[in-house]
Amino acid sequence: MKLATIGVGNAGSKIVDRMLEFESKTDRNLCRHVHAINTARTDLAKPDYIPEDRRLLIGDTNQKAKGHGVGGDVEVGAEVAQKDIDEIRRAFDDIEIHQVDAILVVAGLGGGSGSGGGPVVIDALQQMYDEPVYALGVLPGKYEGGRPALNAARSLQSFVTKVDNFIGFDNDAWRAREQTIEEGYEQMNRELASRLVTLLAAGETDDSDVAENAMDSSDIIRTLDTGGVSSIGYAATSVETANEGFLDRWSSDQEEPRDDGSQATKIKGLVRRAVNSRLTLPGEVSSADRVLAVISGPPSKFSRKGIESARQWLEQEADTVEVLIGDDPRENASRLSAAILLSNMTETPRIKEIQDQAVDAQEKIAAQEAVREEEIDDLITDDNNDLDPVV
Amino acid sequence: MKLALIGIGGLGCRAVGCILDEQTDTQRAFARENALVCDIARAPTDELEAVPDVERTVIGDTSPHVTGDGIDGGPELAAQVTRNDLPELRRTLDSVAIHESDAVLVVVPLGTATGSGTGSVLVSELQETYDVPVYVLGVLPADDDDDESALLAARGLRTVVPAADSTLLFDGELWDLTPAETDGEYDETTDEGLRELATRVIPLFSAGERDGHRVAENAVDSSDIIRTLDPGGVASVGYASATVEPDTRGLIGRLLSWLGSTPDTPESTDAAKVKSLVQQAANGRLTVSCDITSTERALVVLSGPPSELSRRGFESARQWLEDETDTVEILAGDDPRPRSSTLEVVVLFSNVTTVPRIDALQSRAVARQRDHASDGPSSDPH
Repeated sequence: MKLATIGVGNAGSKIVDRMLEFESKTDRNLCRHVHAINTARTDLAKPDYIPEDRRLLIGDTNQKAKGHGVGGDVEVGAEVAQKDIDEIRRAFDDIEIHQVDAILVVAGLGGGSGSGGGPVVIDALQQMYDEPVYALGVLPGKYEGGRPALNAARSLQSFVTKVDNFIGFDNDAWRAREQTIEEGYEQMNRELASRLVTLLAAGETDDSDVAENAMDSSDIIRTLDTGGVSSIGYAATSVETANEGFLDRWSSDQEEPRDDGSQATKIKGLVRRAVNSRLTLPGEVSSADRVLAVISGPPSKFSRKGIESARQWLEQEADTVEVLIGDDPRENASRLSAAILLSNMTETPRIKEIQDQAVDAQEKIAAQEAVREEEIDDLITDDNNDLDPVV
Repeated sequence: MKLALIGIGGLGCRAVGCILDEQTDTQRAFARENALVCDIARAPTDELEAVPDVERTVIGDTSPHVTGDGIDGGPELAAQVTRNDLPELRRTLDSVAIHESDAVLVVVPLGTATGSGTGSVLVSELQETYDVPVYVLGVLPADDDDDESALLAARGLRTVVPAADSTLLFDGELWDLTPAETDGEYDETTDEGLRELATRVIPLFSAGERDGHRVAENAVDSSDIIRTLDPGGVASVGYASATVEPDTRGLIGRLLSWLGSTPDTPESTDAAKVKSLVQQAANGRLTVSCDITSTERALVVLSGPPSELSRRGFESARQWLEDETDTVEILAGDDPRPRSSTLEVVVLFSNVTTVPRIDALQSRAVARQRDHASDGPSSDPH
C-alpha cells in the first residue's frame, strides 16, 4: 500500500526515519509523504532521511515548551499540540491524499510529545481525510519507570479509540542487552522498521499484471478494519542471488521445478517462524481477530502449495477463518521474508502490566502533590515559628 | 539550557566568576553576556572586579548605612537599600537579556545580610518582571561561621524559598569557601570550594545544549530541568565522575575486534561502571545533605564518550534511583561527548523535604535570636 507517515515526538520521528532507510535499501516505496512533528528542536535535527522541510517544530512559542520539549509530561504535550493545531493542519494540507491509501502516525507513548501530541494529530487527520488512520505506538518498558507507564496508559486509551487500528511495539520485549544507549535504540528502531515496511509495502504498486496471489492494499485495510490493538511477527531467510541461480541452471542445464516440495516447506516454515518469533507486542496469537501474512522476496522462491499450507496452519494457530495470505514479489530481493499482522489481538499481558504500574504511579504522584506545600513550609519554618522572614 | 546568571554579594560574585571560568566548552548554559554580578558597597569591590566581561552593579553606594566594607546593618536594611535602588537595578537587568533565557539562576550567600536581604528583594523583582523560572543557588554558612550567619540563613530561607521557583542549596560546611589568595590577591583558579560548585552546576544545566556535538538519544532539554524543579522547595545535587578512554580509542578497539582480537573491556563492565557511578552520585556527598527518599522529582544526566554510555547500566541505575527515592517522577538523559575522557553523572533531587542541615541552622538561629532579645535592652545605651 501507499502511506502518508507521520512521526510525532522523538521516538516517532526516529522510527519513521528508519522506515525510510529500510525502504531506500530495499527498493520499496511505501511512504509517499512523511512528516516529523516534535516539540524539541534538538531532536528534530536527528533524522537522516526525513527532508528538512518535512520537520515541524510545534510549541516553540509556548512558554511551557519553547522548542525544548515538554519535559516528558503527556498533558503538556497534548496542550502544546492543541495550541498549534492550525500549524499542524497546514502541514497536512500538503498530503496528496489521492496518492495514498492510508495514514500512519508513529509515536512513543512513554514521553510527552508523542503520547500527548499523537492523539491531537490523529484527531486532525481523521477530520481532514476519509482514509483510514493507523498508529504505531511504542510502549515504554517497565525499567523506564512509573511516569512513562502513566503517560502510556493514559495515551493508549486516546490512541486506540481515535485510530482505525493501533499496532503496538513493546520496548520491554525488545530491550537490548549489551549495548550502548545509542546502539540500543538504533537496533530496536531498525527491527521495527523492517517489520512495518515489509508488511505495509505489500501491494504498493497494486499492478493488475502481478501474480494472482499478490497482496493488495485493500487486503491490508480489510485486516486492520477490526480496530483494537495489533502486533506484527516477522522472519526472514537469505536466498541465493538471481545471478547464482542463473549460473546453476546454466551448468546443470535443467529447469528447476518452480513449486517443489522443499520450497513449499520453506514458505510454511518461514510463516511459522514469523508467528512464533518475538512479536512487536507479545500476546496470545489465538486471541487475534484477523490475520494477514505477506511473503516478500523473489517470485522464483514463492510456492502456491506453501502458501496454502501456511494458511491452514495460520487458521488453526490464530483460531480464525479470517486469514489473508499473499505474496509481494521483489525481483531483486536478497531475502525471503514473512511479515504477519495479528489484528485486534486482545490478550496482551504487557498492556495490563503498564496499567498496573500506571495506577501505582498516579497514586504516588497524587500523594506527594497533596503534601507538597505543607512539607516545604515545615522545612523552612523552625519548630516554634520563632524566626521571621527577611521581607 | 540557556541561563542568565546573577551573583549577589562577594561570594555570589566569586561563584559567578568560577562558573564562567570553569565552563570552557561550547555549551550555552552560562554566557558572559548573560551574567550579572551585584554587591552592596561604596565602590566596586575587588570581588566584583574579579569577574571579567560581565555586567556589574553596585547598589547602596549613596546610602549612609553603606560603608567601604558593605552594609552596616541587618538584612532588613539590605532589603531596604535594594528597594531604594530598584530603578537602577532594573536598568542593569535589562542589559542581561533575561527574557531570551530559559531561566535565571541567582547565587545567594544566605548567611550574609546582603545575600538574604538583597537576594529576597531581587528574586521577587525577577519573578514580577520576567516570565522565565527564577532559581536560587543558595549558599549555607558553615559551622565555623558565627551564629549571626545561621540566623540570617534561616530567615533568608523563609523568604527566598517561597519566592524562587526552586532553591538549590550548597552547604558551606562541606566545602571551603574562604576566598583563595595567591600573593595577597584573590585568585579564582584556586577557589576550590566554588570550583566544586561549578563542577556540579555546569553539567546539570548545560546538558542538551551542545550545538554541533553529537545529539543524545534522550537529550535532557530545558523543559526537563524546568519540570523537575517545578514543585519548588529545596533541591540538592549529587555528582560523580570517572576517567575513561575517549572514543578514538574505542574506535581502534572496535577495529581490533573486527580483526579478531578481543576488545579490551567486556561491555558488562561498562554497565556496572555506569550503575555504580549513578549510585556514587546519589549516595555520595550532595550539595546539601538530605534524605533522598523525601525527594519529589529527580533528574539524572549521564555524559561521556558514547561508547561508554551503557544502555543496560543506565536503565538499571534509573530503576535503582526510582526505588531508592521512592518517586516515579525521574527523568533520565544521556549527553554523549565523543572526545571526552570523563564519564560523569549528575543527579538533581528536587523538593527534598528532610534536610537535617536546615534544622541545625534553625536551632542555632533561634538561640541567636534569643540572645539578641536578652542582650537587646541592656546593650542599648539609650
